[in-house]
Amino acid sequence: MKMGREGDVVVTHALGSCLGLMIYDPSIKVGGMLHAMLPMAKINPQKAEANPYMFVDTGVVRLFKEIYRLGGKKSRLVVKAAGCASPIGKDEMFKIGKRNYTVLKKLLWKNNVLLDAEAVGGTVSRTVHFHISTGQILIKSGQHQEFSL
Amino acid sequence: MTPGYVDDIISDIKSFPSMSDAALKVLKLVDDPKSTASEIEEILRYEPSITANILKLTNSAYFGVPTKVASIRQAIVLLGWEKLGKLVMTTCVNAVLDKPVRGYDLSPGELWQHSIAVSVAAELLVKELNIDADNEIFTAALLHDLGKLVLGDYVKEDFSAIRTAAGEGTPFQAAERRVLGTDHAEVGGRLLELWSFPESLVRAVRWHHEPDSAEEPGAIIDLIHVADVLCLMIGLGAGTEGLQYKPSPAATKRLGLKPRQLELVASQTLQWANELGGIFQGNR
Repeated sequence: MKMGREGDVVVTHALGSCLGLMIYDPSIKVGGMLHAMLPMAKINPQKAEANPYMFVDTGVVRLFKEIYRLGGKKSRLVVKAAGCASPIGKDEMFKIGKRNYTVLKKLLWKNNVLLDAEAVGGTVSRTVHFHISTGQILIKSGQHQEFSL
Repeated sequence: MTPGYVDDIISDIKSFPSMSDAALKVLKLVDDPKSTASEIEEILRYEPSITANILKLTNSAYFGVPTKVASIRQAIVLLGWEKLGKLVMTTCVNAVLDKPVRGYDLSPGELWQHSIAVSVAAELLVKELNIDADNEIFTAALLHDLGKLVLGDYVKEDFSAIRTAAGEGTPFQAAERRVLGTDHAEVGGRLLELWSFPESLVRAVRWHHEPDSAEEPGAIIDLIHVADVLCLMIGLGAGTEGLQYKPSPAATKRLGLKPRQLELVASQTLQWANELGGIFQGNR
């Protein structure tokens, strides 16, 4: 997880199946990004203790807590998601990206938060540049044209 | 199919620089039960950078040696032959795999990081599944994408045709084959064949994307297949083709792998891959 203030650019590379969650408070120009690999912390409690940001269920909660600590207000937050890709084929075992997205949606729904935008799924591995001064999120994947989320 | 390309690619395979003589000599000694520690020391005496990296690796937490190791002899005694072989291989392929790979959009170090991660993930899978896998798995995993170094320029040249061929649901290596007449797994297998690597290792590299097509399916092929897809999923070495590969349900069934185990291995891979990969960062 990385937090940023005005002037910062928060970057994460090659999300693959991982979830990238970006939250932003435009009034005070504070934002943060989570890069979580797996849906549930219970798969490896020891690892979750050392690095809760590795898991969607523990990481998302931490990200919101951190932005509130920096002065963010829930009513003003802009929330966007990226990543959660999967390899091709129907083998559910490898749909970790899909499971990451499902856990995120459940958590947000329980807490009355809606996603403002998303670039999720497919087979592309996304790189995210989050400009905290403007709130602009640029997404690049493979040979595809960079776009603003 | 473009047979003209295949001739060019084969000629590139033949002129691809081999690994260092010292590395090949040491690997031969490691395989020979009659060889002695002194013979290995003698070869490495003239290879200070290989020696330094072997010692750095020996002292990494991944290999779990409890005392600080300062000499090759001590490393051999504490690690044993098999682990020493892994270390020599890791050290020698670093220089080859550390380069940027055109066509697949891998920046310097990315293919190396991916390769070491696949080795780590494959060994973690062996442990988790309690499989009696051959020691070759680490080396096979390390070299599984070697073919990308030869094929990269051709992929770059014909990328739009390959992307179109990949379309919805066609694995990237199948698209490479359709446009170029071969794919990076086959090219890697041919390279290792040319360098006289053991047949089982050549097969693992050759079929790492299509384990069900191998004449003799085996645990090494299945493990590298799963470890490779998993590492791409967690963002290690996913180049321009992203996750455009198809995991084989038959391979996971043969291994008896459960989703929980796959996720557990994912949670452990990154840290070890960073630790081992990081040892060489100062060399770049």
